[in-house]
Amino acid sequence: MNVLIWLAGILLILMILVGGHKGARSFIAIIYNFAVILFTVLLMTVPNADPIIITIIASTIISCINLFYINEVNRTTKTAFISTVITIIMLLMFIFVFTEKSMIQGFGEEEIEEIGIFTLFIGIDFIKIATAVIIMSTIGAITDTAMAISSPMREIFIHNPTISRKELFFSGMNIGKDILGTSTNTLFFAFFGGYLGLLIWFKDLSYSLGEIINSKVFSAEMITILCAGIGVALIIPVTASITAYYLVKARNQNKH
Amino acid sequence: MIKKIGYAIIGLSFVASIFFVYHNYSFYDRPIAEVVKTTLIDSVDIENEDQIFTQRLLAELKNGPAKGELIELTNDYSLSGANDQKFQLGSEIFVSINEDSTSSELTGSIEDIKRDKYVVIVGWVFIFTLLLVGRKQGLFSIISLVVNAVLLSYALDLYLSTSGISLLLISGVSIILFTVISLLLVNGLNEKTYAAIIATLLGTFLSLLITYIVMVITNENGLRYEEMQFITRPYKMVFMAGVFIGALGAVMDVAITMSSSIFSLYEKNHQISVEALKKSGLEIGKDIMGTMTNILFFAYISGSIPMLLLYLKNGSTWMFTLSMNLSLELARALAGGIGIVLTIPIGLYTAIYFVNRKRARA
Repeated sequence: MNVLIWLAGILLILMILVGGHKGARSFIAIIYNFAVILFTVLLMTVPNADPIIITIIASTIISCINLFYINEVNRTTKTAFISTVITIIMLLMFIFVFTEKSMIQGFGEEEIEEIGIFTLFIGIDFIKIATAVIIMSTIGAITDTAMAISSPMREIFIHNPTISRKELFFSGMNIGKDILGTSTNTLFFAFFGGYLGLLIWFKDLSYSLGEIINSKVFSAEMITILCAGIGVALIIPVTASITAYYLVKARNQNKH
Repeated sequence: MIKKIGYAIIGLSFVASIFFVYHNYSFYDRPIAEVVKTTLIDSVDIENEDQIFTQRLLAELKNGPAKGELIELTNDYSLSGANDQKFQLGSEIFVSINEDSTSSELTGSIEDIKRDKYVVIVGWVFIFTLLLVGRKQGLFSIISLVVNAVLLSYALDLYLSTSGISLLLISGVSIILFTVISLLLVNGLNEKTYAAIIATLLGTFLSLLITYIVMVITNENGLRYEEMQFITRPYKMVFMAGVFIGALGAVMDVAITMSSSIFSLYEKNHQISVEALKKSGLEIGKDIMGTMTNILFFAYISGSIPMLLLYLKNGSTWMFTLSMNLSLELARALAGGIGIVLTIPIGLYTAIYFVNRKRARA
């Protein structure tokens, strides 16, 4: 794994040079997250374990790492954490319904050839796995957006201590609107880059539009991209309302 | 007024496209059938791990010369469903009709599933969520996504039709176009955007250079290209181009965050010193560095989960499974991370340069 060690080394040095202590923490957080993913995969191989429940637990732990370890435990990260968990559960139900309906689980016929030596009957519900994959690929962006909204909302609250709950909510929504474009962009390009080979493949073998859109690999990728975008948009009102609710509630309690 | 017309256009295209995907059978050459009856006829246990069921289906043909007639199909599916699925009433399937089947009782085999409906429905949920939450900004993100997708598709067509131009050159030009278009759409025509565009391009090409040097020095030791799926072209180029298009969104995000915050600090206080700008800029950079690299990391690694499970369940060792399935994804995430971290100081100094220029003119 020579290339990987080099790249990881360069990344670590750059992170420390630019970010100092916090940079080192960010690098360690990546390693923790990687360990959580591997552990999640390990749990999923256990017979009769429900991949959806494992995913909920894994996303909770990952949000803890991304919010509480990289930053710290305070009111901002706590509200971001609650919002993340709520959004993940809402998104899970939506994604599960559509993976089941559209049957995008497992491997496409284009992939089957290379894994011919393996048995596919491994007793794991691949519909649930497909749902888990979509959630896990969005979790980084969801925690990032939650944090990017709740943290400036607290600043606004500190500077205007008499602000009403409604006003605070709308200022959160305005911050969300500004970052919506860049967050969705980040995810779209990440997926475009990952699927470049697939796109060239479709074009090279001159698939028709009808064949492309109905094929398992393409529709699975499309649904993943779209659900990731839905997740990043959904976290905005959830975080804005939860943060507004908690900050104002804490103020009112202090008064009495 | 414009708003009302906009709502009307969105509403109309929603209704029209949903109607279309529910009634587009005649647009397909391949025969489509809708399941009207399912009977379970057999089930077999496999090594206590899984179960295989056999389903007899009766389906109604929706297009072609035999439209309206019933066809009999057999479907095997397992509990896992890694490459098979259970059909329910109303499932729509692409079928091939056996030629020797008698006209009274058609038989055939299952080819694929009609999925276009669901892609379109999820697409609309996406559009509505973005519009509801983001309003105008939501609309701009949708436009930017569509424009970039069309541009990417066009760039690939160009690459495939002219064998002479290298993919790296085409993606280089595309990266410039993607950056300019997305940042202008997200952020408008102003100095903040210009600073972000320059920082994005510098950051992307510098990290491309670093990754390329590492790959040359190490002789690409440790990268398992055989895991790359869907490859009809020189895989190394496809991989490198994918890495940089993939990191581009995150790099743009960092660049725009850096330049917006530096400019807003300057707007609030025109006398602010360069040292103070540097200090605040670095603090902001530190805050976003970890989460941005995490976004890329999860987007790339998660897609490998089904393959990892398949390898492990088939008795492969962890070492073999990971090196076979994750080397390219990790390289992608790490190279993207390098781009993100590099863009923090680059974005900071570009923004300060633009602020200073503005100050000199004022």
